Amino acid sequence: MLELKGVTKRFGGVQAVNGLDISVAENEIFGLIGPNGSGKSTTVNLICGIYPVTAGEIVFNGKNLAGLPPHKRLRAGIARTFQNIRLFPNLTVWQNLLVARNSMEDVHSQSFLARWLGETRHTRGEIESILEFSDLADKADDLASNLAFGEQRRLELARAAAAKPRLLLLDEPAAGMNREEVQDLIHRVRGLRDSGITILLVEHVMQLVMNVTDRICVINFGQKIAQGTPDEIQNHSAVQEAYFGTTAGDPD
Amino acid sequence: MDAYHVTVLSNIGMISLIALSAYLLLVCGEISFGQQAYFGIGAYISGIATAMWGWPLWSGMLAGGLIGASAAAFVGALTLRINGFYFSIATLAFAEMMRLLLYVFRYQVEIGGELVGPDGENGFHGIRWIFENDISTVEFMWIIYGVLASVVAGMMFMERSRLGRIFRMIGQDDMLARMQGVNVLLYKVLAALIAGFIAGVGGSLYAHSFTYIEPQFFNVMLGVHGLAYGLIGGLGVAFGPLVGVAIDIGFLEAIRWIQGYRMIAFGGLVAVMLIFWPRGIFDEKRWYSIRRCLRRMCGAETS
Ligand SMILES: Nc1ncnc2c1ncn2[C@@H]1O[C@H](COP(=O)(O)OP(=O)(O)OP(=O)(O)O)[C@@H](O)[C@H]1O
Ligand SMILES: [Mg+2]
Repeated sequence: MLELKGVTKRFGGVQAVNGLDISVAENEIFGLIGPNGSGKSTTVNLICGIYPVTAGEIVFNGKNLAGLPPHKRLRAGIARTFQNIRLFPNLTVWQNLLVARNSMEDVHSQSFLARWLGETRHTRGEIESILEFSDLADKADDLASNLAFGEQRRLELARAAAAKPRLLLLDEPAAGMNREEVQDLIHRVRGLRDSGITILLVEHVMQLVMNVTDRICVINFGQKIAQGTPDEIQNHSAVQEAYFGTTAGDPD
Repeated sequence: MDAYHVTVLSNIGMISLIALSAYLLLVCGEISFGQQAYFGIGAYISGIATAMWGWPLWSGMLAGGLIGASAAAFVGALTLRINGFYFSIATLAFAEMMRLLLYVFRYQVEIGGELVGPDGENGFHGIRWIFENDISTVEFMWIIYGVLASVVAGMMFMERSRLGRIFRMIGQDDMLARMQGVNVLLYKVLAALIAGFIAGVGGSLYAHSFTYIEPQFFNVMLGVHGLAYGLIGGLGVAFGPLVGVAIDIGFLEAIRWIQGYRMIAFGGLVAVMLIFWPRGIFDEKRWYSIRRCLRRMCGAETS
């Protein structure tokens, strides 16, 4: 459903992504790993259109995304989370989810007032169930900036899910989490997949990558160096060298 | 109420409108140094409409608002796509250009043996609609407050709506807003348009309250004050800027001994606020706590 063909991104002299080919299948959890600065976040940014590709093309559901602005990519079904948590700090948890739903709003809402307020009964119900799923139900009226770190992470995931994407890009969702929190995240990510969402997971934390992904692509200096199932990747020599070798001191 | 207080209160009401117009853009994360241009456009257009074309005040005000809105949307559409810095400079440049044009803008007709209409640097005399219609200054003050109340009510209603949330999202993180499916440019231009309308309506009231306007009224200091009011009063809720206006025009004006140092006192106040409370007295967080408190108190009473 998502295909990157020879995608390249240069920032001045820096070759952040270099001729990357990736193909993610429908309803798959696809891992993208690599050492620091290898171009993972840049790849995510290219897919959601923060900046244009230097060369190559990105095809989503058979449609070339070139020239499509970010807000239209969301409406086409691509949502994401950020490596550094990004929320609307001065909106409440409820509002953070509401704005995510609103941009996807169906035109058949009930009354003018409900449409104007952006809170149809249908939307309310959906947000309540997202809150439930994210264990944030009792925090609905808190400002996002008042949440604890773990809650902010959950809210970010919830916000991305609230947009009802078909493809979800997760950029290091487990960064800064402890073992239990990662375990919890594993269940959430699986839950999202089971609800029909395809997931591209960028991650350093092996506990997460090795447990949830179907396939993994390893990149270094913006180039693919290996691809395969978690087991294959763990035993791959080039990966050992480029990835595990350089991150021997990884907190995980 | 004596004439002095009526004048001060009327001024507070009219200046509040330019403050609200700057506030709306601040909420969206954009700083405009040029809302005085749309205030001026509103003043001239509505003055021409009532004094020269014989329109009633309401139509003149609507025309002033609409043309102010169109000009603001035009400037916004040209510059908001680049980045905030260009927008700030462009609004200032446009406002100064407008003011200089008003110095050479002459359009007069003879009414009752007297030339009426904008006369370049000599200003625009004889916008006498309220006297011709036997409206006292006190009554006009109530008209001003009626308009202000409608605008504030409209803004508060908007803030609770989807549109208001989108404006706040954009102001807090426009990249994230884009990632959440918001066409940021479109909504920023829409904010500029609404802000231009509010300023234009304010200018219309201003022209009719003073019966005489001149280009120099609409200089950059007016716009800078408009900005400062929101930053003092707070960006969390639409009555924040009104608090800012009341503090400046009401409070500083009332303290006689400050008169000679008025601008120094005001500038100092803005500087202190920016350092300690950069988003004003009623900023988002404080307003959120206040609302929460109020809700709890009401909840406690009813239960
Ligand atoms: N906007 C930018 N302008 C210039 N260079 C950039 C920009 N974004 C990324 N880079 C460079 O591109 C390279 C890849 O960065 P990227 O953020 O994609 O790495 P990453 O794989 O996500 O790393 P990390 O694991 O640290 O998050 C780096 O050398 C980085 O400095
Ligand atoms: Mg990264």
